[in-house]
Amino acid sequence: MEKTTKKSKSKIPYHKIFIEQAPTAIAMFDKNMCYIAASNCWIKDYKLQGIEIIGHSHYDIFPEITQGSKELHQECIDKGIDVFDEIPFTYKDGTVKLLSWNIHAWYVGKNEIGGLFIHTIDITPNKEYELKKARTKEIFEQTKETAKIGTWEENLSTQKVYWSTMVKKIYEVSDNYIPTLTNTLNFYETDQSLPQVSFIINEALHKGSSFDYEAEIITAKHNRKWIRVVGKPEIIDGKVTRIFGIIQDISAAKSARTQLSQAHAQLKAIYNSESISIFSTDSTGVINHFNKGAELLLGYSASEMEHKESPMTFLPMDEVNKFRRDIALQYGKNPDNFSHYKDLPVENVNDTREWTYIRKDGLTVPVQCTVSSVKDDLGKNIGFIVVSTDISDLKAYQNEILAKNQLLNFAEQMTMIGHWQWNLASESVKWSKNLYTIAEVDTSVQPVFDTFFSLVHPEDQPLIAEVVDDAMRDKKFESVTIRLITTTGKTRMVHIAGVAVTNNQGEVVELMGTAQDVTELKMVEKKLKGLLESAPDAIMIINEQGTIQIINKQTETLFQCSPEELLKEFIEDFIPNILPFIKAAKFSNSNNTRQIGVVEELIGLRKNGEEVPISINMGPVEWEGELVISLAIRDITKQKSAERKIIKAKENLEVLAHKLTEQNRQLADFTHITSHNLRSPVSNLNSLLDIYKTTDDEVLKESLFGKFETVINQLTLTLNTLIEALKTKGPHTDEDVEEIEFEEVLSITKDLLAGEILKSGASITSDFSKCSKIKYHKIYLESIFLNLISNSMKYRSKSRKPEIEIKATDLNGNIKLEFRDNGLGIDLEQHGHKLFGLNKVFHRHPDAKGVGLFLTKSQIESMGGTISASSKVDVGTTFTINFN
Amino acid sequence: MKSTPKICIIDDDYIYRYTVVKKIETMHLAANTMDFEDGEVALAFILKNLKIDSELPDVIFLDIDMPVMDGFQFMKEFLKIESQLSKKINIYMISSSLDPIDIERAKKIHSISDYFVKPIKAEQLQSVFSVL
Repeated sequence: MEKTTKKSKSKIPYHKIFIEQAPTAIAMFDKNMCYIAASNCWIKDYKLQGIEIIGHSHYDIFPEITQGSKELHQECIDKGIDVFDEIPFTYKDGTVKLLSWNIHAWYVGKNEIGGLFIHTIDITPNKEYELKKARTKEIFEQTKETAKIGTWEENLSTQKVYWSTMVKKIYEVSDNYIPTLTNTLNFYETDQSLPQVSFIINEALHKGSSFDYEAEIITAKHNRKWIRVVGKPEIIDGKVTRIFGIIQDISAAKSARTQLSQAHAQLKAIYNSESISIFSTDSTGVINHFNKGAELLLGYSASEMEHKESPMTFLPMDEVNKFRRDIALQYGKNPDNFSHYKDLPVENVNDTREWTYIRKDGLTVPVQCTVSSVKDDLGKNIGFIVVSTDISDLKAYQNEILAKNQLLNFAEQMTMIGHWQWNLASESVKWSKNLYTIAEVDTSVQPVFDTFFSLVHPEDQPLIAEVVDDAMRDKKFESVTIRLITTTGKTRMVHIAGVAVTNNQGEVVELMGTAQDVTELKMVEKKLKGLLESAPDAIMIINEQGTIQIINKQTETLFQCSPEELLKEFIEDFIPNILPFIKAAKFSNSNNTRQIGVVEELIGLRKNGEEVPISINMGPVEWEGELVISLAIRDITKQKSAERKIIKAKENLEVLAHKLTEQNRQLADFTHITSHNLRSPVSNLNSLLDIYKTTDDEVLKESLFGKFETVINQLTLTLNTLIEALKTKGPHTDEDVEEIEFEEVLSITKDLLAGEILKSGASITSDFSKCSKIKYHKIYLESIFLNLISNSMKYRSKSRKPEIEIKATDLNGNIKLEFRDNGLGIDLEQHGHKLFGLNKVFHRHPDAKGVGLFLTKSQIESMGGTISASSKVDVGTTFTINFN
Repeated sequence: MKSTPKICIIDDDYIYRYTVVKKIETMHLAANTMDFEDGEVALAFILKNLKIDSELPDVIFLDIDMPVMDGFQFMKEFLKIESQLSKKINIYMISSSLDPIDIERAKKIHSISDYFVKPIKAEQLQSVFSVL
């Protein structure tokens, strides 16, 4: 016991050393509450400067200590309990302060209490209370830690070294390790620490000086540690007899300090940075530091600002006022006459905001700036540090983004597009401003999926649900047009397009896209549709690849297909071979030739395979921003048949015209006949009658009768001929037409003209080998033979015997008959135009009456044939009949 | 008038020629008449008496429709020789044709004094004689 006590008591000086240096109000008492040691802070706080307290009773020094406190102290000593209390304390000068007391027993051995530690903190200022409390606790913890400090002693007279258990723990040696004067030094790191420590110890031994050093050791277990060694030599008779002290493991603190020093270096670097402006103020608001960055940013030099100016030099007043007001409100102070220097003694101000600095040259610069309190060791505010960065560029970007955002908003309004985002994980939905406008939803509404869904027309809701389901499954958002019923009840056509955003696992995490109000577009489309429907033609709009995009009702009718069977299908399935026309026509670059062209003679294919003749009118159309081709298709079946009818009618007309021309010509003949052949005998009769009436000469009158007779005979002949000719113009019955052998007709003719032939000695030869018969009007054919053969004999040459050749040919059913003679011939140059005229005679022949050829021609023409003549005077004449 | 005018009738219609001569006689117009049955024989006569004015007619009544050489064919030939004639011959086209084509065609020929439609009337004969 004795030994223990002695040993324990020997520890007191070490505590003393430590306590004296403590940064807080702390005192060490023995069991009688007499001072063993007190910190400078204690002495200062309790105003004990110059008063000898060591060895004196605490109660003697502070007689005002209450009995309650004394009892509490005793209880602590007796029971070894720790006490934390707050008690008002009356100082010697009469001031009362609320003190926070921390009472903690210290031990000299196991379960043996050596006395008390008392820490006090003045917590009188209410606002500092919490802070002090925390600091007290911290200090207390530190102190407790310090209590574990190892102690050592080197007795120079006995050459013995004592290490406490803690020291052995620090050195990581076993409990029974025996330290010596030399081996203690062996632990020190040899390069730096050992020489330093050797020097210090040497100094202490020879000069008796106290020491306090930090050195690095390598423990028995080869761990590097930093230790703090405090030592004090004991000098007896001018000689150092022993050195004692404490050893503290400061590895953690050292490393913290290293880090701190690093941090400090970094801070220094930051402080010296040119890109960051840093300045600080003292508690009166005067700038005490102004770094290079600040110089560059503001254009003031450090020497101009430091210890001379306040930040008000370059801060706009309104911003300062706003800052003061904000800070005041934040800390519950009255904003009126608030000063962030005077009125915030301990608050941890940390305010980040944008400020506008006014440079020395008068220009302003936007900065992002953090204002923080600067504190002293006791946590009191002693000024502010202000760190700012130039955000001009950032501002510019921000403005640009703002402008762009505005443009986007504008664009959305213009195009009536809104956009949306739907995060599936967070279930959050975002709408752009314009989407609110489209849906007529108040912008204060935070949308969810249902916000939109509930506005969708009930009939379209399944559609939207399906699109969403599909998007989840296929990771593809199919655009869809649905009806939206806005909050005011308007129906809007909204086209929704979107994309599915997937994560790394390919799961859909977000859907986003646009919603466009296409009501008007749809209206336009409807109008277009209406226009298309009202068009008389089938109209198709196809793209350049030939895919059908739009059709009208008439198209369905034309192809007899439903819209589903036509839309999105390939055009050539319905109109084969149309693409080459479209490609050939291509779009002209110039805007004036917009019409591509008309394609005729194409075939449209119906569903049942039926072919429809069509004509197509093509033109380029701009539709949904794409250049497409419109086809106006017309079923020309009727047109075709009409065309055929027209052609037929035209042919008929031509025939008719031909006939009419012919009849016209015949009418002209009749005009001629009436004016010449009928009028002249009539006028003769009138003349004769006139003479008859005016003369009294009976002989003349008698002779006139002969003349009358001549004229009447002539008139009768003419009339008979005309009647004969008119008969031929009339309709022929089938009975008149029969198959006739040319040979037979010739034979009849020869019989009729037997006398003439005999008298003239004519020879008639015939060749009907190429064509022996014809279907013809028998009487006409006999008349033709009779007229032509008799003519040949009538106008025979006086110098030669008549020779008549008759020849029939058949060229592809085209039957020709030729009558050639060797007679007088006719000057066709002079008389050709009246060769076949009535009563035209060309020879002064007594029998020439100009009737035969006239009738022959009438008959041939009435049967659709023609007759022509070729002749040479005094050689002969050839008549050619083309029967057709 | 120095002497009795010579009237020449060119017409294939014998009855017509007869009626004209008789008409002149009954109107007691002083005239010597001659007649030809077509243009060809008339032309031959004129060519033969080209320089003998006493033989040439003062007036020709020319029919259009005649065999061998009709009125227009005659005029074509007559115009060729007209410049050689020292005697002025007044030619009247006489036809039963009311055909305007014929009338127009006759009027285009400068040497034709007038066109009369058959039968020729007393007044027309009177005017023919009056201009001689």
